[in-house]
Amino acid sequence: MFKFILRRLIYGFFVILGVIIVVFLLFHALPGDPVSMMTGQRSDVMSRKVISEELGLEEPLPMQLLLYLNDISVLSVHDDTAENFQKYDYTRLFHVNQNIVVIKRPYLRRSFETKKRVDEIIMENANGTFWLAGAAMLFATFFGVLFGLISALYKGSFFDNALVIISVIGISAPSFVAAILISMLFGYYLHDFTGLPMQGALWDNDPFEGRQLHLKNLILPAFTLGIRPLSTIMQMTRNAMLDVLSQDYIRTAKAKGLGKIQINLKHALRNALNPVITSVSAWLASMMAGTFFIEYIFTWKGLGSVTILAVENKNLPVIMGVTLFVALTFVLVNIIVDILYSIIDPRVRL
Amino acid sequence: MKTQSTFEQDYILEVNHLTVQFHGDHGILTALNDVSFKIRRGETVGLVGESGSGKSVSALSMMRLLPQNKAKVLEGEIIFHSPTLGKVNLLRLNNQQIRNLRGGEMAMIFQDPMTSLNPVFTCGEQVVETILKHQKNISYQQAKQKTLELFEKVRLPRIESIFKNYPHEISGGQKQRIMIAMALACHPALLIADEPTTALDVTVQHSILELLQELREDKNISVLFITHDLSVISEIADSVLVMYKGEVVEDGNIWDTFANPKHPYTKGLLACRPRVDMKLKVLPVINDFMITDDEGKIKSDETRFKSVGQAIMMNYQSPKELKERHDFLLKQTKILEVKNLKIHFPQDRNFFGKVKSYVKPIENLSFDVYKGETLGLVGESGCGKTTLSRVILGLLAPNEGEILFEGENILTISPKKMQELRRDIQIIFQDPYSSLNPKMTVGETIMEPMQIHNIGENNKERKEKVVELLETVGLNGAYLNRYPHEFSGGQMQRISIARTLSLTPKFIICDESVSALDVSVQAQVLNLLNRLKEKYNLTYIFISHDLSVIKFISDRIMVMNAGKIEEIGFGEDIYHQPKQEYTRQLIESIPKGSLENIRKAMLKRKMGKVVK
Repeated sequence: MFKFILRRLIYGFFVILGVIIVVFLLFHALPGDPVSMMTGQRSDVMSRKVISEELGLEEPLPMQLLLYLNDISVLSVHDDTAENFQKYDYTRLFHVNQNIVVIKRPYLRRSFETKKRVDEIIMENANGTFWLAGAAMLFATFFGVLFGLISALYKGSFFDNALVIISVIGISAPSFVAAILISMLFGYYLHDFTGLPMQGALWDNDPFEGRQLHLKNLILPAFTLGIRPLSTIMQMTRNAMLDVLSQDYIRTAKAKGLGKIQINLKHALRNALNPVITSVSAWLASMMAGTFFIEYIFTWKGLGSVTILAVENKNLPVIMGVTLFVALTFVLVNIIVDILYSIIDPRVRL
Repeated sequence: MKTQSTFEQDYILEVNHLTVQFHGDHGILTALNDVSFKIRRGETVGLVGESGSGKSVSALSMMRLLPQNKAKVLEGEIIFHSPTLGKVNLLRLNNQQIRNLRGGEMAMIFQDPMTSLNPVFTCGEQVVETILKHQKNISYQQAKQKTLELFEKVRLPRIESIFKNYPHEISGGQKQRIMIAMALACHPALLIADEPTTALDVTVQHSILELLQELREDKNISVLFITHDLSVISEIADSVLVMYKGEVVEDGNIWDTFANPKHPYTKGLLACRPRVDMKLKVLPVINDFMITDDEGKIKSDETRFKSVGQAIMMNYQSPKELKERHDFLLKQTKILEVKNLKIHFPQDRNFFGKVKSYVKPIENLSFDVYKGETLGLVGESGCGKTTLSRVILGLLAPNEGEILFEGENILTISPKKMQELRRDIQIIFQDPYSSLNPKMTVGETIMEPMQIHNIGENNKERKEKVVELLETVGLNGAYLNRYPHEFSGGQMQRISIARTLSLTPKFIICDESVSALDVSVQAQVLNLLNRLKEKYNLTYIFISHDLSVIKFISDRIMVMNAGKIEEIGFGEDIYHQPKQEYTRQLIESIPKGSLENIRKAMLKRKMGKVVK
């Protein structure tokens, strides 16, 4: 197990490295001059030169890549200057010739627009996305498995047919349509009953009381975001359960005289869970960056809106940073899922 | 009144006029038609029949495990003399009551131990679960202790570690022992064993049968033993029920049934099983004993054979004929030579992917196959027989060694030549259900190899060839446009054979080609293979774990064990004078079904009872 995790982390490292290189090369293949984008209106020669040096644009391409990697790496080598110290905010480890080896937070460079560190931008906004995605998946998984289970156990009944039809609608409804409808219906027309707002972020800066948590604001966006995964998870669970229920070992369990609950929940469900976990993990990882519509309509502060804004403004450091962050989430989620597989199914050897 | 009750107490189970129908997509099917039989206390009853005869349906209706939405019990009753509930009709019990009986007083062992245990729970836990369900006031520790005792009783090795093992970590035979332990966990009065040894090797089958025998004597359990093979139950059953098309056609004690079968179907079943003690030219089949119409009703009495003895006498191959055959074969040239073959699979790798240890399915194997012969390859699962067949087909590259087909090394020839060679070397697989593509018609399936190898001018010509092939393998040429699911297992295997023949190969590997079939169908397919061999001058390597099948079909037999050849020689020699201990064990494990053995077994049981 430990060996497996170590090996997967090493693989993951190479995956991330690959992503960095691809993203970096894309950055260079795209049209547009980063320097003029950063300088905006002021385009005097001096400030152009400064920016160009800071991005290392004078250097040849392989050197630029090395500089970029050095910036991202937690362990890195720099000239020990006050300027650099301010830029990277590092902790000195030891000296090598004129340079120092330092330990620091990954430096993803700064936003073209706000000049804020990209890692800070991501950390600020990832929080909201984590809450939203987590809540949505929790909701989707719980009800998806529950409905799938019921649907499989009462296959062919009215209830089963209704659930299957509803889930098909759930899968096919585009999230922006669902988001608008749900926001209007529950946040506006039914506001008196639900008491839920149409819009709002998780954290709010109140001028008098400071930063405040609004869990209420989470409900509608999480529900909207959860509809599609819920529908797929429900269908996955249903199919997997139907398959498992026809297996010989279920007949054995019946022949032992076990009751319905033990047969269905203990013997059948556990065998049916693997495909469900696959789909949960895929959804969870893709939600890290793919919740733009929901965030936009509910004015939720999250990674999705940051990404779209960055793409619109060709804010390359932010795009690159978010891409790396999403890749990292995918790698980690996949490792966790593989471990989960082996816990649920002993035949999976790590 | 009193006498009647003692009389009744003799029986543990009475099935009276049971009729069960299945309502499926294709209309109504009567699975059981007016079935009646009784099982005495402490008696073992063998229930014999081919697939679809209704034997499993009978067992499942006793346990009330038939699919509720499809199966309908039209009439009849199943009376169970329960030690706790008294005389009850199982069909009238409510769900709670039947659940208490299942796994408690009535237990069941299923055919395939590989799929009958839940893969995600440990073996021990699955048995403990049964005990906890049926025995009140018992702690987990006590249940565990009981489970370990049961494991000991069913003679599992390393009981402590098997308790913690998952089903995929132990062998098939051990899994079946777990199933038996599970069934015995709550001292059942009636044990239903549904083909408990069919999926197992002969030697394992033998030990499982011995175990069941002992347990029955030890605990005085009544056993209903379901099988498609009469000889399996010959030594352990007291009486036999033969089922055919949902009806009981023969019901008598074991001796009478074997010595003097009444129904032609029983005679056919007894005769069609390949024998190890003598060599027959053609295996008798059911149709030699009864001629039936499409619905399986007996049409006329004008049959080829009237008795089992007659069928055997008329097919007996004399020692002189055998000698002539052997001499003829010895003069033939070699078609296949295998020299110093070695195959290793990496088993364990270290952190950097370097191989630390190997599994060695084949170690240094050398043998020759002569033109026109059938070489029988026999061994238990895991002995390397299937791996060997893959290597000969060129589907797997060996680590070392040479394979010469008609003098050419197939491991080094060019891919183009290999493609041509594939026409000459063909295979017939074990499972006809999964070796035919369900989305292709029979015609397309048989035609495909011809299209790939450019045999025949155009599709019209090929189609004619397909019809001819279908007729050769004993099917109607009009079946061309049907899909595989419309056929029975035996018919599907015939289609696979026709597909193999479409390339007019010289050499065919039959990998367990009859193992998935009923004994009666098996006989037909074996006869077909022999006929085709004569007709097309074929050479076979016939792989099987069943020594009696091998004995019937082969000229020479090669016994394999753990990737090595134990023994190779003419069938008669191997059977009568086995040189190796391993071969002797294999031969002894075959259920023979001879009257002599039945008498011994009956005597032994009687003696056992007297001693008690």
